[in-house]
Amino acid sequence: MSIILLLIPLSVAIAAAFLGAFIWAVRSGQFNDTCTPSMRMIIEEESANKPRPLAKETHER
Amino acid sequence: MSVETFKYDNRIVRAFSIATIIWGLVGMSAGLLAAVQLFWPEANLKLQFTTFGRLRPLHTNAVIFAFVGNGMFMGIYYSLQRLCKARMFSDRLSWINFWGWNAIIVAAAITLPLGLTTSKEYAELEWPIDIAIALVWVAFTVNLLGTIVRRREKHIYVAIWFYIATAVTVAILHIVNSLAVPVSAFKSYPIYAGVQDALVQWWYGHNAVAFFLTTPYLGLMYYFLPKAAERPVFSYRLSIIHFWALIFIYIWAGPHHLLYTALPDWAQSLGMVFSVMLVAPSWGGMLNGLLTLRGAWDKVRQDPMLKFMVVALTAYGMATLEGPTLAIKSVNSLSHYTDWTIAHVHTGALGWNGFLTFSVLYWLFPRLYNTKLYSIKLANWHFWIALLGMMFYVVPMYWSGVTQGLMWKQFTPEGFMQYPNFLETVLQLIPMYRLRAIGGTLYLVGAFIMAFNLWKTARSGQFVPEVEVQAAPLSPHHHLTGENDPWKHRWLESRPILLTIFATVAVLIGGLVEIIPMYLIRSNVPTITSVKPYTSLELLGRDLYIREGCVGCHSQMVRPFRSETERYGEYSKSGEYIYDHPFLWGSKRTGPDLHRIGGKYPDAWHFNHMEDPQATSPGSIMPPYPWLLTQKLETNSLPSRIAALRKVGVPYPQGYEEVALGELNRQAASIVSNLQSGSISAKADREIIAMIAYLQRLGVDIKARPPEPATRMAGGTMEGKFASQEVSHD
Amino acid sequence: MLRSSRRLSSIVTVIEKVIQQPTGKAGREHRLACFHCGADCRQSALSREEKQFCCQGCLTVFELLQENGLEAFYKLDQHAGVRVTRAASPERFAYLDAPSVFPNLVDFSNEKITRVTFRLPTIHCIACVWLLENLFRLQPGVGRSEVDFLRREASIVFETGKVRLSEIVTLLATLGYEPDLTFADCAPEQRDRSPRVPRKLWMQLGVAGFAFGNSMLFSIAVYLGLDAFDGPAVRKLVGYISLLLALPVLLYSAQDYFKMALQGLRHRVLSIEVPIVAGIIVIFAQSAYEVISGSGEGYFDSFSGLLFFLLCGRLFQQKSYERLLFDRDFKAFFPLAVTRKAHGVEASIPLSELAVGDLLLIRNGELVPADSVLVSGDGLLDYSFVTGEATPVQKRTGDLIYAGGRQMGGAIELQTRKPVSQSYLTSLWNQAAFHKGMEESLDTLINRYSQRFTIIIIAIALAAAAYWTVFNPALAVKSLASVLIVACPCALALAVPFTMGNALRLLGRKNVYVKNAQAIESLAKTSSIVFDKTGTLTIPQSTLADFEGEPLSDSERQLVRAMAEHSTHPLAVQLTRTLSRDRAGLPVRAFLELPGWGMEGVVSRREVCIGSWEWLMRHGIAVPDEQRLGNSKVHLGIEGSYRGAFLFTNALRAGIAELFPQLAQYKLSLLSGDNDSSRQLFRKLFGSEGKLEFNQRPATKLESVQSLQRSGEKVLMIGDGLNDAGALKQSDVGIALVEKIGSFSPASDIIMDASMLPRLGAILRFSRGTITIVRLSFFISTIYNIVGITIAARGELSPIVCAVLMPVSSISVVLFASLATRWWGDRAGLEPGRENL
Repeated sequence: MSIILLLIPLSVAIAAAFLGAFIWAVRSGQFNDTCTPSMRMIIEEESANKPRPLAKETHER
Repeated sequence: MSVETFKYDNRIVRAFSIATIIWGLVGMSAGLLAAVQLFWPEANLKLQFTTFGRLRPLHTNAVIFAFVGNGMFMGIYYSLQRLCKARMFSDRLSWINFWGWNAIIVAAAITLPLGLTTSKEYAELEWPIDIAIALVWVAFTVNLLGTIVRRREKHIYVAIWFYIATAVTVAILHIVNSLAVPVSAFKSYPIYAGVQDALVQWWYGHNAVAFFLTTPYLGLMYYFLPKAAERPVFSYRLSIIHFWALIFIYIWAGPHHLLYTALPDWAQSLGMVFSVMLVAPSWGGMLNGLLTLRGAWDKVRQDPMLKFMVVALTAYGMATLEGPTLAIKSVNSLSHYTDWTIAHVHTGALGWNGFLTFSVLYWLFPRLYNTKLYSIKLANWHFWIALLGMMFYVVPMYWSGVTQGLMWKQFTPEGFMQYPNFLETVLQLIPMYRLRAIGGTLYLVGAFIMAFNLWKTARSGQFVPEVEVQAAPLSPHHHLTGENDPWKHRWLESRPILLTIFATVAVLIGGLVEIIPMYLIRSNVPTITSVKPYTSLELLGRDLYIREGCVGCHSQMVRPFRSETERYGEYSKSGEYIYDHPFLWGSKRTGPDLHRIGGKYPDAWHFNHMEDPQATSPGSIMPPYPWLLTQKLETNSLPSRIAALRKVGVPYPQGYEEVALGELNRQAASIVSNLQSGSISAKADREIIAMIAYLQRLGVDIKARPPEPATRMAGGTMEGKFASQEVSHD
Repeated sequence: MLRSSRRLSSIVTVIEKVIQQPTGKAGREHRLACFHCGADCRQSALSREEKQFCCQGCLTVFELLQENGLEAFYKLDQHAGVRVTRAASPERFAYLDAPSVFPNLVDFSNEKITRVTFRLPTIHCIACVWLLENLFRLQPGVGRSEVDFLRREASIVFETGKVRLSEIVTLLATLGYEPDLTFADCAPEQRDRSPRVPRKLWMQLGVAGFAFGNSMLFSIAVYLGLDAFDGPAVRKLVGYISLLLALPVLLYSAQDYFKMALQGLRHRVLSIEVPIVAGIIVIFAQSAYEVISGSGEGYFDSFSGLLFFLLCGRLFQQKSYERLLFDRDFKAFFPLAVTRKAHGVEASIPLSELAVGDLLLIRNGELVPADSVLVSGDGLLDYSFVTGEATPVQKRTGDLIYAGGRQMGGAIELQTRKPVSQSYLTSLWNQAAFHKGMEESLDTLINRYSQRFTIIIIAIALAAAAYWTVFNPALAVKSLASVLIVACPCALALAVPFTMGNALRLLGRKNVYVKNAQAIESLAKTSSIVFDKTGTLTIPQSTLADFEGEPLSDSERQLVRAMAEHSTHPLAVQLTRTLSRDRAGLPVRAFLELPGWGMEGVVSRREVCIGSWEWLMRHGIAVPDEQRLGNSKVHLGIEGSYRGAFLFTNALRAGIAELFPQLAQYKLSLLSGDNDSSRQLFRKLFGSEGKLEFNQRPATKLESVQSLQRSGEKVLMIGDGLNDAGALKQSDVGIALVEKIGSFSPASDIIMDASMLPRLGAILRFSRGTITIVRLSFFISTIYNIVGITIAARGELSPIVCAVLMPVSSISVVLFASLATRWWGDRAGLEPGRENL
């Protein structure tokens, strides 16, 4: 069963890599706002706003 | 810092979706053919390329890697771009991923029917294709991570985390499980043996299911369900917890596929405990999905896409609850090797993966072609037919699984086996196999209806190759966004905790590299002195066994239950497998266990049985293998096979290659003489001789008396170092 | 087969028809709803592309979105728009670009880009999030805009050169999302940008959870007989990996507990963290020794599990209400800008630039920012929120007007006398109460309990060690260590956070938002309650006029009503409301109203005169002397003779009458800034010994709370206005009442919806109940400790026993705490109407 000597460290290494990813996520502020992302992804962009040329420099109202 | 205009790439999404539909139909048809063969052996068409043994891996690979693989890529390439508000990192990598992946599938469709297989479940493809898979997968991972780095949306949505987990982990699993020493262009022997190969295979096996069939599809669910229901996911915080809880300990799964086998007890129990722990995160995901529809159930009535999604989630919940129950040892003692496992697999596959892919397709095609779905009615028809099909598949399988398990274990009051002849149990299941075929047909019909519906949708619309969108770039100044740059090195040093983590990872990997050579080769699995490596003829016979895919129906693992020791003989010890590269324990007993078949029937019986199974056991559903009697045994690859095996640790003495051919002919001649006494005339160079040699050797070593010199090894040079290791095993 | 599936689908449609019955009558009659904001717009006939709009504001927004391709806004949500009440013109926000305001408002700015974060209270749905994140389509130069839905905030990055901050704010205002700018925004240090739950806690929890999950799997392998088969290699590997996993947990996750223990010891208090830290160190040392020496497999899973549960407790306790700010002071009440008339030109300037002697123009509903003198216009100032006076105070030119009053009626002009920060009102904030820091008070319930607990544990440990040194020296060290290990008060330390966490959530659901667990504990210890009158016990702006003098006949009331209907004076409006039951519409001839004085007219040939007593005197109507005092009276004279006066009092809140009997056990007192005109009404309520004090200035309120505290009372202050801020700060626990959640409330420990005031008795009973629940869970955890210590003292504590005991004790305490709090929440009668205790 010595294969376990390969599997255990490998598994721990993968899990530790994901722990590193978790810490990066916390540090880079991924979890500051845990409500708006779920709403933001619903919004259909392409059908919503056909890209209009932003040429309108003068902003006439 | 002006607003950037960029385009989403829909071509790659369309390509993958079409591939998904085609491979779905192909894979399911192969599955249906295999199902029909199980109650009507003539469906094997007497062709070696379409017998059940070779068709089963074709079906599993086609459905998993082709249908679900392409479906996953379709969903990822569509959702990733929109979630990151960025085009894919590089179009070339996308198309390498597409053409590479589908070329691999075509290669599998060619090699598997030819019998070029490693026999390791869900990793049957030979080493060159394995390398190709690794390369294409790396291309996909680079493309995925590149897009994330160049995203214009700060927050990484939970679905993307699932995609990252899939990409990273499948790569590692695939590489570790495919480590093998090549013999020829299409033959290789894995470096692990017996018990070790089993554990690595099922460490990969379960995690392939986990990271190929579950995590990406959870990602798809978290994207497409809120999109279709037009409501945010029930609790985004729960989905974050669900992901991280799942990922931190998910990699531990595996041993629950080997309960009551020769795996050490503690590993089995660990597998069991772990599987039961997995229910929490899995059900977290399901509830999060279903509760998203709270208040939007009338949408489910109108939108077929949501109908499919709801059933997919429910099936996911059922399968992930049934899995841990099956992983409990007492349940497993009944269910292992029976059709119950097949029912569990297909609840997950047909229900979760199938229905979710259908729902994504129904949602995606109208958008890709900027039109309405051709016919809602047809989609509803597909839904009800597919649901019925799934029921007709899964329920008969539960029924036959339990019947099979109970009949094997049935004892008469006097203490004798109720059904000593294995065939009685097989004949009992034929009606259930018929019902299952009906279920399969319905499901396939449903898939064809979908294909037609989507084809008409595509025709009625105009394909939108690219979608132009605008978004502001992520401002690079980090003090702007209030977070420090997570990757600057200065930051790393000033954080002791992170340094320790990265140090541990480095140490572990370092340790890994020097541990392997020391332990793996001199495996300290308690060796039983009487167990010797296979002779050259038996080795070629074993490779034929692998080529014909016998492992698809026959297991080689007698479990320590009275019902099995009565039926088969002494239960299997881990020491008996130390020279098996790859291990052939198998995971399904459509036919009886073969580990103690050695010496049970005369050679003539085997000869006749292989030629026409119906002759020796009337009513048997085993396909005939007439070509074994006609094809010549190919022996010139013998020296390279022996050299490869010696490299992976099988103690063939030096110079055995020269002796091997002579020894082969002598053993073949003795078998031909046995057949002669059974009034069968056969030539010594036919493949059947090697097959008989291998079958007669199975499980024999344990009975031989250890002290007297190993007569079977001509040339007596086998003393070698392992003979001296007298290790007792309880 | 096909027939059955057709029947199946028909059955399904039948079921769906049943579910989908049109409920309520709204479905039937057609309400003309504005396409943009859904308001009823039957009278206005604005329409574009056959869609109706209720006002010009909504129509302009519709056109704006149409122009820029943002029509999807209306597909995302029906009537998603916000009704625009006040036209937004760039000049109104010009002051934002002023150098004195701009740097304080923005988060970051350099010559290229600027980032600013605004609070937009009118964000309410997905369409708003989408619209606000597509601002770059409407305004060139705007870059990323990111909405935080829970905090109702949007942070916008834009190019400094290309667009001005005022243009952005004007755009937001025209779209209906006017930023909520207050004077506090000028003080950047006030805005805390850190996320509510500190990131460090998330990381510590992640590390502990990761280590716990994985090391638990190693230990289970060992418990299931790892070494029977594999020899030492695998066992050593497992041991070392567990050690490596536990290292970051000790070094990082447990940091806070080490700090808190040190802080406790420095104050010579054996806080709960001291035994925890002792347990942690001993567990780690014992396990490390066992693994390195190879004599055992250590307790690493229990170790990381212990920390994981503790951190979960702390996380659960930090319930954060994203939208509520608990520590706002007067700056958050004052507006950011005020209109100044400098030599004839009206311009809005930031409050910080206000100088003494400036001429200000204050419109209806605006706030007087500084103590000043009325120059023109008739001042009618509502001080209810600031000084507690119930009725609006009339001011005439030349009178001194204190800061904080809200002008009602026409626009007025003032000349400032004092700078903003030294006004009469804001002087309250330099009281001592506001400067004492809020240090983590150590004398909480759990620390008192842990004092005794720690001493007993150490005693037992030493006794066990001594006993074993005599009988079996090998066991001495092991028994000492294992007593400390098993006695580690994980369950004890979880009892408080989970009970309080659940209590916080339960109260939160009832619109009673508690700042932290400490507040509940002090709520339970309350012995005397101090009420504010205006706005707390009475409903603001709901003044009722009851008549002094013999009751009026019906015809006389109709006269008064007819007259009152003609005037827009606030008091007249309330008069018409109180006389609403009488017949209206009598014709009035020769109607004359002199603002600030009164009105006169002839109704059905009878001459009526209503107004202040001087107004009646001028009409030759003799007003009796005792009626002349008090200026919240409106006198009535009919046909030359004095009939009486209308006294305006605030209506009591519903349910107050039932509340007071429940508070019998508390010492009650009333501190009101209003005059004592309703003394006997509150005497009836407060009973004989209740202390009633009127005309209280904010500072005197603070002092009376101090005097109560000096006499040993634990004071609970309930108030709503700025004048209660001092008392709320000084009291042990302060409750701020708000009419609408999210509107301004002074700094306090608890923000409560005004409708929940009648349930105050139930809330106090609930908080006392939670303390008993905490005591019960202490009791449960002590039982576990006793069981554990007996095993440990005998030196038989094996890792598996510890691995089972620790989670079981923690989870059972957590379950008990949560379920008991929930059960008690219902029983304590928090539910309005379910009055059973």
